[in-house]
Amino acid sequence: MLKADIDADIFRETIDVISALVPECRLHVGESGIRTRAVDTANVAMVSIELSADAFNSFVATEAELGIDIAKMKNILGMMGKGDVLKMELPDEGHKLELAFGGYKYSVTLLDVNTIRKDPNPPTINLPGKAVLSGASLNNAVKAAAVISDKIALGIDPDAGIFYMEAEGDTDHIRLDLGGDDLISLEAAQARSLFSLDYLKDMGKVMSRAEKVEVHLGIDHPVKFSFAIAEGNGQVEYLLAPRIEAD
Amino acid sequence: MNLCAQCKGKGLCGRSKCPVTSRFHAAVSMKPMDAYMGEAPSVFVGSRGFPRMSAGPLLTGEPDSPKEWLRRGYSIDDIVGVRARTIRGNTGLASVQDALCEVALSAVPVDVEARFHSPIRFDLTFDGTLAPVGMKGALKTISVLDNAKPERPVDRVTSDYDLRTADAVRLLYGEGIDEHRITQLLSAGLLGVKRHAVPTRWAITAVDEMLSAGLRAQISHAPPLDAIRLYSAELFANRIIILMIPGQWRFEMIEQWEKQSIWAPETETILADGEKGTKNGYSPIAGAYYSARLGIAEHLARIGRSASVLVIRRIRGEYWAPLGTWVIREAVRRAIQENPEPVESLDAGVARICQIMGSGKWLNYSTLIPGIRTQKTLFDFALKL
Repeated sequence: MLKADIDADIFRETIDVISALVPECRLHVGESGIRTRAVDTANVAMVSIELSADAFNSFVATEAELGIDIAKMKNILGMMGKGDVLKMELPDEGHKLELAFGGYKYSVTLLDVNTIRKDPNPPTINLPGKAVLSGASLNNAVKAAAVISDKIALGIDPDAGIFYMEAEGDTDHIRLDLGGDDLISLEAAQARSLFSLDYLKDMGKVMSRAEKVEVHLGIDHPVKFSFAIAEGNGQVEYLLAPRIEAD
Repeated sequence: MNLCAQCKGKGLCGRSKCPVTSRFHAAVSMKPMDAYMGEAPSVFVGSRGFPRMSAGPLLTGEPDSPKEWLRRGYSIDDIVGVRARTIRGNTGLASVQDALCEVALSAVPVDVEARFHSPIRFDLTFDGTLAPVGMKGALKTISVLDNAKPERPVDRVTSDYDLRTADAVRLLYGEGIDEHRITQLLSAGLLGVKRHAVPTRWAITAVDEMLSAGLRAQISHAPPLDAIRLYSAELFANRIIILMIPGQWRFEMIEQWEKQSIWAPETETILADGEKGTKNGYSPIAGAYYSARLGIAEHLARIGRSASVLVIRRIRGEYWAPLGTWVIREAVRRAIQENPEPVESLDAGVARICQIMGSGKWLNYSTLIPGIRTQKTLFDFALKL
């Protein structure tokens, strides 16, 4: 059972976070809020998101697992205006989620959860380096690198006290060093890994709205981005597997 | 890059006649006639001079559908022979529009009576996308003697003026209407809300594209394929090798024109193109890219799995006349019908392709394979599902 009211923008942001990686997911609903965790088809990236009950104007729910067609949901939410309030309702044992906003009433059939991949157990990875910076500057760096290449190296140089991004195209090279005031904080440890920009572009678009993004890095290890949404009432984690440097 | 391999007779070099295709001219003798009475199985709308195209029915008593040619086991020479005896009635689009619709609508060839301004002349034209056509005659009059007999779904869809073209195309395909027929309907301007004739060459690619786009949406929701699969088949000296790798929808095609093959008379030419998610712009591989992709997408949608797919097409010199992109579509389908070769790993698959191809040159053109090879997955870092 679910009965909730939420600001349209907050819910749209939540859906955008998920849709950057997967077209559908298992959404867990419980007394404390909603959460989901999903891995993309290629097993390269993972998203975990938690939205606490405080993010909602009103929230009543019992434990349930909902199969959500994220791609369809995104299209529906595109109809919502800024400042609209979205009312969601799902009766006990119901298979249709009622969405109401601005006079519209949608009844969306849920997917059978058994057709959706199971939630993964997150790997425990030791990522020693951490840089904290604004989502906008992270997204800009990703966009700049995408102009010349399809992969980007993220790293931390502890001696210079900088967080850097570096991309190598067939003929071109780009490097961005961020240190001192460019960063919100830095836990310096030797780190450098290479990542696919296909994934980072989609993630970057979502992260650009975050005031601060924590970037956890290791050497040839996955990167973990964590940031808050919904004015601190929601927490997102992206995990992205690295590429190995081609010889 | 060899311009011919990219152009395939479209005329990118600026010459008025393609030097590659014109050498077929001497091959057939013509018999002059200035009237035709008999079957008209399909229509043809030329792309030259768009939007003032010339168009007309194709006139022949022989089968005109690629699927039928394959069923009868025709060789390249047989097909070129059939097409060389086919007459393309030709005139301004406006004056034949009604006749075109009748011809395209009918599931069985309708009888027509045609008169030409002057005796028809031999003008065998080839290009990469279309099947070749032999004779050309300027139409003076044409009258359709039969009533068109459309299949039920065709009748329904063409009578629906509120159905958008892409939806109409997918609906017909879902009803089991073969894409050659759908192309005919689109070309004659019988589909969509705002209807107009579409050059046949463009219609072929448009139908391939519209169908794949719909299938792609299904594939993106599907779970990944269970294992790497390798398929291979040959049709008319076109060797098709397909490598399917579990993962999200990616498509890449590499086309290798061997030295002495039709579009690469002097040096071996390799073209490559691919897409991630959606395709931007027109492929340098031209219509073949879209036809191959349809063959792949329909298979993945049918088995309900997603995969990253590499298609390699290797063209030998024996493919002496370009027959149209249906060759690639059918070759891909034929390859998938065969049992896949067991491949243990990506490296083993690549090695096997190199063995079939006799060289590893194609690998330098691939961006898909290195992309997958260098990308680690979260399983490498102890992710558990």
